[in-house]
Amino acid sequence: MEPMIRVENLVKRYAGRGLGRRAAAFTAVDSVSFSILPGSTLALVGESGSGKSSVGLCLACLERLTSGQIWFDGHDVATLAERELRAVRPRLQMVFQDPATSLNPRWTVREIVAEPLLVQGRVANRERGVHAAQVLERVRLGAEYLERRPAELSGGQRQRVAIARALILEPKLLILDEVLSALDCSIQAQIANLLVELQRALGLAYLFITHDLKMAAHLADEIAVMSRGKIVEQGAAEEILRDARHAEMQNLLGATLVEREVIAVVRER
Amino acid sequence: MCFLLRRLGHAAFLLLGVSVLAFAFSTLAPGNYFDEMRLNPQISAERLSALRADYQVDRPMAVRYGRWAVALLHGDLGFSFAYNTPVAPLLWTRARNTLLLTGTATALVWMLALPLGVWSAERRGRPADVALSWATAVLLIVPDLALALGLLVLAVRSGWLPTGGMVSVGFDGFSTGKKIRDVALHLVLPVTVLVASALPVLLRHVRAAVAEALEASFLRAAEGHGISRRRSLYRYALPAAAHPLIALFGFSLGTLLSGSLLVEVVMSWPGLGPFLLEAILARDLYVVIGGVLLSTLFLVAGNFAADLLLYWADPRIREEAPER
Amino acid sequence: MSTRSRLIVCAAVLGALHLAVACAGFFAPYDPAAQDREHPYAPPMRLHFVDARGGIHLRPFAYAQELRAGSFDEYEENRARAIPVRFFVSGAPYRVLGVLPLRLHLFGADAPVYLLGTDGYGRDLLSRVLFGGQVSLLAGLIGAGLTLSIGLCIGAAAGFWGGWKDEVLMRVAELFLALPWIYLLFAMRAFLPLAVQPVKAFLLVVVVIGAVGWARPARMVRGIVLSAKERNFVRAARGFGASGGYLLRRHILPETGSVVLTQAAVLVPQFVLAEMTLSFLGLGVPEPVPSWGNLLASLQHYNVLVSYWWMYLPALAMVPFFLGYLVLASLLQGSSRATKIEEAPAGV
Repeated sequence: MEPMIRVENLVKRYAGRGLGRRAAAFTAVDSVSFSILPGSTLALVGESGSGKSSVGLCLACLERLTSGQIWFDGHDVATLAERELRAVRPRLQMVFQDPATSLNPRWTVREIVAEPLLVQGRVANRERGVHAAQVLERVRLGAEYLERRPAELSGGQRQRVAIARALILEPKLLILDEVLSALDCSIQAQIANLLVELQRALGLAYLFITHDLKMAAHLADEIAVMSRGKIVEQGAAEEILRDARHAEMQNLLGATLVEREVIAVVRER
Repeated sequence: MCFLLRRLGHAAFLLLGVSVLAFAFSTLAPGNYFDEMRLNPQISAERLSALRADYQVDRPMAVRYGRWAVALLHGDLGFSFAYNTPVAPLLWTRARNTLLLTGTATALVWMLALPLGVWSAERRGRPADVALSWATAVLLIVPDLALALGLLVLAVRSGWLPTGGMVSVGFDGFSTGKKIRDVALHLVLPVTVLVASALPVLLRHVRAAVAEALEASFLRAAEGHGISRRRSLYRYALPAAAHPLIALFGFSLGTLLSGSLLVEVVMSWPGLGPFLLEAILARDLYVVIGGVLLSTLFLVAGNFAADLLLYWADPRIREEAPER
Repeated sequence: MSTRSRLIVCAAVLGALHLAVACAGFFAPYDPAAQDREHPYAPPMRLHFVDARGGIHLRPFAYAQELRAGSFDEYEENRARAIPVRFFVSGAPYRVLGVLPLRLHLFGADAPVYLLGTDGYGRDLLSRVLFGGQVSLLAGLIGAGLTLSIGLCIGAAAGFWGGWKDEVLMRVAELFLALPWIYLLFAMRAFLPLAVQPVKAFLLVVVVIGAVGWARPARMVRGIVLSAKERNFVRAARGFGASGGYLLRRHILPETGSVVLTQAAVLVPQFVLAEMTLSFLGLGVPEPVPSWGNLLASLQHYNVLVSYWWMYLPALAMVPFFLGYLVLASLLQGSSRATKIEEAPAGV
């Protein structure tokens, strides 16, 4: 099967800032390559500072690459100008970690969810509300949420709104940047299940960025482990979890769960 | 060290920029300045053409700026048309008078604001502090023009204090002691106005900074160690509050030359203010530019002095560029 | 009272004060330019309710003031002539907001009644103060509007573009901040033609005041734009293909609202004061148009200072407005949870 998206030798370097180069330049992502098949999930796992969020931002075309290619829909989206990108963007959407900051607190849920339609300019005002209600339904929120503001919602509900917003343009790939990390444990499971459901129903591909190996194990078909800007382990989920060889993996494993639990989780799937 | 050098470079850049701005204002102003001067009966036609040649009015601006800047570096601020003498010495005598006034007022304001600020920060929310806030609020809402004029009216009607100027008639004949007393009496009114207008704002800042420092946990630790309240207040709280206060102090220094313009005019104090005003009305170009530049110099120097003090006082700034 | 209701009350009071000045024609008994050569430098006349014989009147009245025989500036009350004050009378014509012609005044009388006295030309000071307020307040408001517009544009541009454009703009802002404000004001005013007609002079004053103070608001706006730019909901909007203009309009600039409002409350009184200063020194609005500044200009003459104390009263006209704006500014700052007091210490 053709991969939905193929990343080749992605490098992201942040320039030094300030006149005297007070903040040193540093390489966040050091030549990373992977691909994601349609309808499948690749989990990008690593500690904070490993560069995984930068990969996500680059894939979502919110940051410019220093070098490398991102093949999506037959184009190298890394080289597209903003105008051309606009046509591509609906198919590549991102959901952020903290819904408290990714939703404009002054807007209502309807405005937030319908914003992509407004920006893309394809749908008239009245219909936008209808679309918004439909997509809210998908994330299991009723129409009564339309006129509420983010401050009136719980963390889980906000994240659902964020996911709904990402879905309204009918993307093929969702980049989920630590979307569960800001939620309570019980809510995490709910949202994770919702994501699985949506994937099955809509045939979405996911790039699931996380530091939580357990979650990755639950959701992912493939896992790539990042450490200091490089991918140090990559492969099918079961193999990665079983082989747990590299130091970084040991780190993540030690931090999140015991080996036996890993095997149990793997067997569960 | 690097920090200081950077600040010095910054200050130099500011002065350069201001000089360009000042010069640009004058040359870009609508109407040929020299044409306006022709209407002034005090300036003869020969003087005018001599000045035109001298100042090379017809050369491009960059050339004129260069010439002026070079002269500036030699301490030559140009020529005053109204007084028929070089600008620099004129400015200097006036500046001295201004500094006497503002220096006294600044010292007084800080000597009042610091203890009062600490005192009221300690008693935050309590009746004494609230009363002080109200009193300073009253001062705050009366504009200094009203304050100055009001005090002047009072002085005139009561006859207790001299109503203007820096010295009385016959000053030169006074003994030294009497001279000092005379100037001091003349200082009372303008200094009062300056202090009254600056005190409320400064007091607020001091109080806010000290109050914030008082909240700091290390102070409570000091109390836990049994260090007396007074000692902890002055030895620990005040230095912690110092950072914003030093910046303010630098600003105070910076406005030594420019902050008293209105008061000087109203009270006829022979300082830089009235002199500049006169020059503006008389279209005495180089006096105005020189005056603006001089007061900007003070402002920039004041901020730089604040940077110096901060560097010396706050170890965090010294550590700012860590070696990694 | 909650902050919000305090804010509303304060805004209402301030609005009422402004309305009173805007309707100066109605509240002022006389035309500000009308001269009364028979009553130059007349002191304020007092209103009485009880007459010399102890009779109580419901309608207030004043005793006519006449020059004492043999004197040219001393007045005495003529107890024989009582002038009743009537309300809602027809008087000198005026235009509301420059458009609607009316003749109705709040109060008036058959003979001259000068509640705040007169100036050297016999012009009623009360009327001049009210009309002068129009000029001074308008100068402050428009000047503040100009400054904030410039500051908003430049600050938003600098914050949004970033990079070298940001550096350049901020350096220029620093230059303007480095110049002593009042000297900059004077220097700018100086290099523009000095003797101009009142309307032109007014516009000049407004432009000069407005062009001087943009740097501080620009820096504040820039700070907000910089941080708003990095917010995830802005990033998300970029993710749907939003243009820079859209982001600024719908997400970033609304964040600057409270700062701009607070700055407005801080700047307007400062700018009114600037106009007063300029006019007081002869660099602002010229005679015969009254402004709070030039009404005080005569106090620069010693004899006026000594003998005619009521000429000082226009200086106090500003006080209630100052108070109102001060309270408004601190309420706004409190509600936006700003912790720094961003006023420039005016002098020492």
